[in-house]
Amino acid sequence: MGRIRNFLTGAGTAALLGAVCSTPLLAQTLDDPSRAGYYDALKGRKVAYLPVAMGLDLTEGWAAGLKAALEPLGVTFDIRDPNWSTDTGSQAITSLISEKPDVLVVHNPDVQSYARLLKRAEDAGIHVVQVNMRSSYSSDVFVGADYIGMGEQIGQRLVEKCSPANGGSGKVAITQGVLTASTSLYQMRGIEAVVGAAEGMQIVSNQAADWDSTKARNIAATVIQQHPDLCAIAGFWDVMDIGTASAVRESGKDIFVLTQGGGNRMACDNIASGNFSEVVVYHVGHQAQDMATMIRHLLQQGKPPGTSKTTLFTPLQFLNKDNMTSASCWDLPAK
Amino acid sequence: MRLSGKLGQEQIVFALAVLLCLVFSVTLPGFLTGNNILNLLRSVSILGILGIAMGIVVIGRGIDLSLVSLMAISVGWMLNMAGSGMPLPMALMLALGFSLLVGAINGWLVAYAEIPAIFATLAMGTLIYGFGRYFLIDLEVAYLQGSAEVLSWIGQGSLLGVPVPIYAFALICALGHLFLRYAVAGRYLRAVGDNLAAARITGLPARPVIVQQYVISALIGFCAGIVTAAAVSSMNTRLALSTYVYDVILVVVLGGIGLSGGRGGIRNVIVGTLLIGVLLNGMTILNIQYTLQSVIKGSLLLLAIVADSLLNPRDEQTAQQGDI
Amino acid sequence: MTLTDRLTRWRYHYVPDHLLGEILSKRWIDNAVPVLFLGLTLSVFGALIPGFFGADNMSNLLRQWGEFGLVVLALTIVMAAGGIDLSVGSTFALGNIAALALIGVADLPLPLVIAGTLACGALVGLINGVLVGYLRLRAFLTTLVTLIIVRALVDSILLSYAVPIAAAFPDSEPWFFMGEGSLWGTPFSVVVALIAAAGLHLVLTRTRAGWHVLAVGGSRRSAHNVGIPVRRVICLTYVASGTLAAGAGLLFASRLGAAGADIGVGMEIAALTAAVLGGNSLGGGRSSAAKAVIGSVIVMIMVNSLVRMGLTSGANSLLLGTVLLIAVAVDVRWMRNKHKFLSKVYVSPTWADLPVAPPTSAGSPYALNDRLAPVQSIGLGEIDGPEDVILDADDHIYVGNRIGDIIRFLAPDYTRQEVFAHVGGRPLGMAFDSNGGLVVCIGGMGLYRIDKDRSIHKLTDETRRSLFSVIDDSRLRLADDLDIAPDGRVFFSEATVRYEMHEWPVDCLESRGNGRIICYDPRDGSTRTVLKNLVFPNGICMCHDGQSFLFAETWACRISRYYYDGPKAGRTEVVIADLPGYPDNINRASDGRYWLALVGMRTPAFDLGLKMPGFRRRMVRRVAPDEWLFPNINTGCVLRFDEAGEVHETLWDRRGENHPMITSMREHKGHLYIGGISNNRVGRLPLPGADPDWTGMTSYWGQK
Repeated sequence: MGRIRNFLTGAGTAALLGAVCSTPLLAQTLDDPSRAGYYDALKGRKVAYLPVAMGLDLTEGWAAGLKAALEPLGVTFDIRDPNWSTDTGSQAITSLISEKPDVLVVHNPDVQSYARLLKRAEDAGIHVVQVNMRSSYSSDVFVGADYIGMGEQIGQRLVEKCSPANGGSGKVAITQGVLTASTSLYQMRGIEAVVGAAEGMQIVSNQAADWDSTKARNIAATVIQQHPDLCAIAGFWDVMDIGTASAVRESGKDIFVLTQGGGNRMACDNIASGNFSEVVVYHVGHQAQDMATMIRHLLQQGKPPGTSKTTLFTPLQFLNKDNMTSASCWDLPAK
Repeated sequence: MRLSGKLGQEQIVFALAVLLCLVFSVTLPGFLTGNNILNLLRSVSILGILGIAMGIVVIGRGIDLSLVSLMAISVGWMLNMAGSGMPLPMALMLALGFSLLVGAINGWLVAYAEIPAIFATLAMGTLIYGFGRYFLIDLEVAYLQGSAEVLSWIGQGSLLGVPVPIYAFALICALGHLFLRYAVAGRYLRAVGDNLAAARITGLPARPVIVQQYVISALIGFCAGIVTAAAVSSMNTRLALSTYVYDVILVVVLGGIGLSGGRGGIRNVIVGTLLIGVLLNGMTILNIQYTLQSVIKGSLLLLAIVADSLLNPRDEQTAQQGDI
Repeated sequence: MTLTDRLTRWRYHYVPDHLLGEILSKRWIDNAVPVLFLGLTLSVFGALIPGFFGADNMSNLLRQWGEFGLVVLALTIVMAAGGIDLSVGSTFALGNIAALALIGVADLPLPLVIAGTLACGALVGLINGVLVGYLRLRAFLTTLVTLIIVRALVDSILLSYAVPIAAAFPDSEPWFFMGEGSLWGTPFSVVVALIAAAGLHLVLTRTRAGWHVLAVGGSRRSAHNVGIPVRRVICLTYVASGTLAAGAGLLFASRLGAAGADIGVGMEIAALTAAVLGGNSLGGGRSSAAKAVIGSVIVMIMVNSLVRMGLTSGANSLLLGTVLLIAVAVDVRWMRNKHKFLSKVYVSPTWADLPVAPPTSAGSPYALNDRLAPVQSIGLGEIDGPEDVILDADDHIYVGNRIGDIIRFLAPDYTRQEVFAHVGGRPLGMAFDSNGGLVVCIGGMGLYRIDKDRSIHKLTDETRRSLFSVIDDSRLRLADDLDIAPDGRVFFSEATVRYEMHEWPVDCLESRGNGRIICYDPRDGSTRTVLKNLVFPNGICMCHDGQSFLFAETWACRISRYYYDGPKAGRTEVVIADLPGYPDNINRASDGRYWLALVGMRTPAFDLGLKMPGFRRRMVRRVAPDEWLFPNINTGCVLRFDEAGEVHETLWDRRGENHPMITSMREHKGHLYIGGISNNRVGRLPLPGADPDWTGMTSYWGQK
């Protein structure tokens, strides 16, 4: 079948594994008192993972990272793939609630669909970890970018590049993913706050491409034609913005393409080839590591779900041709 | 084509396209510029290529709803193989072979298993996507990388100032026209599309002809896929589940190729493609939103079908059972 | 008997070949395949997934079925009328977004939200309906286009309202109840879907509207010709479909509150798979709510279980596509070839070994002669197929004909005829009861009595069903001949339970014991089967002892005697085992013996064929019916025999000119009246030396 089984996130995961393995070495004369408790707390536990769809660099990356971190400890890792269907996803949560895994890792398609179900899951004793896209219900853990902050930073970049004060036309376009996804909602708030405040800046188009590169390409082509003096396009996902970039390239115009993503090799390749001007990277490896850490924390604590709320924002990096190194991006190994 | 008397749909649509062109060039600044016209043509060239594939099948009284799905999966697989280090010719041959094989299976289902084309290809579309995603392609989006990068010229290059996809469209149009007009197999195809029973009684190999039309459709679809992948530097396999294939049908029906088969030619596809191109381009310049454009496009398709059925009405007495 | 013969006999005796055809001809067979498939699905996933049959999982599955079930029901309604509605997925999405917008943004009260949402769906349905029904567009393409348009509309609405919808939290108790509440332990959506299914079932099976829908689906042209408003019916099915799909979207909205762009995408394929898998035919006319329910349950289990098993993207599409393809292929091929296939499989010959046929040469009691030469024809060319002939006390002749009349030829010269009664069916054997009422076996109908005042009374048309029969043998298909015992009980033969009247000769290709003798008791109105597994029982005649009757088994070339009373009650004795032809009716003769008609003579070729059931089966399957080897039923004779089985005389018409084709004869006042089921006359033969005053009436019921 050739699913991606092994995934090394590079230094991050290696260090993590090193930490896990090196602890016992210290115990030469006396037993580490926490050792048995640590392994017992994790052995035989079940973690279920529900992304919006497998087959994406982000979701495959998280899955591989979680697997690598948890499976050696005897944790069963179970993937449910709704393949972009909110309905199938909600069904999967419903059946997971009755199967009662210890932890549920959820990648929300939008803020609302899973909210009630996640609450029910926590009531049923399942820890819920949300990744990257937040639901309107806050569960035990959220791991992901600070999207409002990210939106503000993106807004600042756009202003830097495009405001008439800096020699741009002031016209920027935004291609969102799904309008109701938390990433979109929060980022838009950040972007609008900054761009709206800036002198002469104007968002000429703000549409949703549903994470689909073809749609993104069509939207971008339309916008470029409507606004020949467009200065920048900000997209919300690099995989989708491949389409945006090709529309820009086709137009032959010099438009600043700012996108974001998990830092897959593809992002670096496209920066190198000039398709993307800049990519905001939230490192998928870091996120997987954060999740694994939080899961181990929750399982050892043994407190009922919902008693604590933790948010871990992933550090962001603005990657462009100038600051990019070969280690900036990670690879999904070929099958 | 009728020489005189009633206007055929092709003429109506062509007149409409010309009219729209005139209106846009008068009212819209920047419509009638060389750049914009090239842009217009390039934006619909892939649609046009797929339209030729669909048109050939429809002329043979079939329909191929798996066209886009097969295109996405076979080209995606090719990119995947090329990206993981396989030499490009090898990857191309394998993917093309896969594509033709699936086309032949489509044809077999329709011609020999006698499943209505509409359902056979609808099911095959879903099946191909599932097969490809499960066995062939890990990630949803396959990127143009590795040995396949040389292909990007097809989608993004230009020759004498004209983008290559337009040449590709023109070439396939010409080949399709020669095939339908002058090749024996092409004439057989039109005969089978016009009246299957009569063609069979005459001694034409009706079933092989039907299989052949789906293989041709798969072949042209593959070419369109290469152009698409080269243009966007990637192939999104989710295209298979989108409504893109219906846009292709729109082009064919709009151009005046009747769904009951046997009538029309490549010219109809070109006319349909042009109208869509002009319309999309105009709507774009008019600053109509993307989703609203879809609504307008769909309504237009509906009008085209209504016009088709008003021009060729069906009768309660002769309507065939199960002919849906 | 050689070993091969014996093996063949065992093989055909113990392997019930005929059941296959009988099972396949059942109406429920259309549902049996989906049910089997459901069982298969359940067992496969039950084995693969631990805890699959647990209460938790089952209630989860149930909860998820409601909305999908509604959508499949919506599609089923349209398919019943021969259409298809691919826009259900988009309509579902529209219902979802409309409901969310109405309750979240417009802040309407719940009843208005429900009404508004359903109206949206009905409007989409109406557009489809007008286009497909009134403008007669192709359903598939039209609904594809509405799918695109409605989807684009939903996207447009999302663009403007998605954010307000996501921000709104409708604060309505009943709203949440619709999504998550339960009635009697069953999720609300499931209750709604079940009510819809029950409603659809009632409408389709019990109401005029439902019959119209099925009629339009079954044969659009015929429906149009009998005056059903085809266009309106089709239009309304789409309206119903749109409304139901939007209703499903409403339930979905209240459950998840999701305003995503993926809602309902690809749902039409899943719904179509479910509908076709359940056995709803694509051509229309063969739909039921049960099929929709079965199909939707299967598809839902498959989709759900694949996700549960952790199979990744693509597996679902792969399975759905494959299942849809197979289901459509089976549906199309089954519908197209069902009749062809059934007619080939249904006939299942068995092994039969007839005793050596006695010679008809000089010296044999069956010796050929021309004794039927003096036969005079009555009503030549005016009567079509008088199977049996009977005369009343006033010497009028009664015969049945092919179109279901009892014709009376009036004494004394029999040149005038009148329709005594029109009963329908195919009147066959006749007898007078003690009151002079004419009791008739009517093929396709049962046992009837026509009184002197021409009033028609049904005596019986059913008997108790055999315990293990596959085909419904409670209905009388082919009541053939009867006779009446002195106590008034009517014993009548039903020639075969496997064939209808018009295909009775095919039964001989089987030569199995498909027939039976049934007793109708007028004293308590009961009907019961007396003898079973007879090889085309035909003529029945009461013996003079008042305790037994003689009956003929046509394809077995045998006359037997059955005791229904007296010391030998319940026993059957063979009287003549080796007739040279196929016996038909038996009637009393004036000398205490019995008349027997042989409808046709045996041929060596067919006798040999009877020992080769495989040969006959191949023949039936591969050769056109016109070319089949049938027994001869054109040249026969009349003979007279006694209770000991001795044949006393045989009357032939060697040239077949005076009276070909004999199925019955009746002696009356020194004459023999002869009928034939495919003859065009009644024959009248003077019987020199016979008692000129003897009549059947007096022989049975005495002088009155």
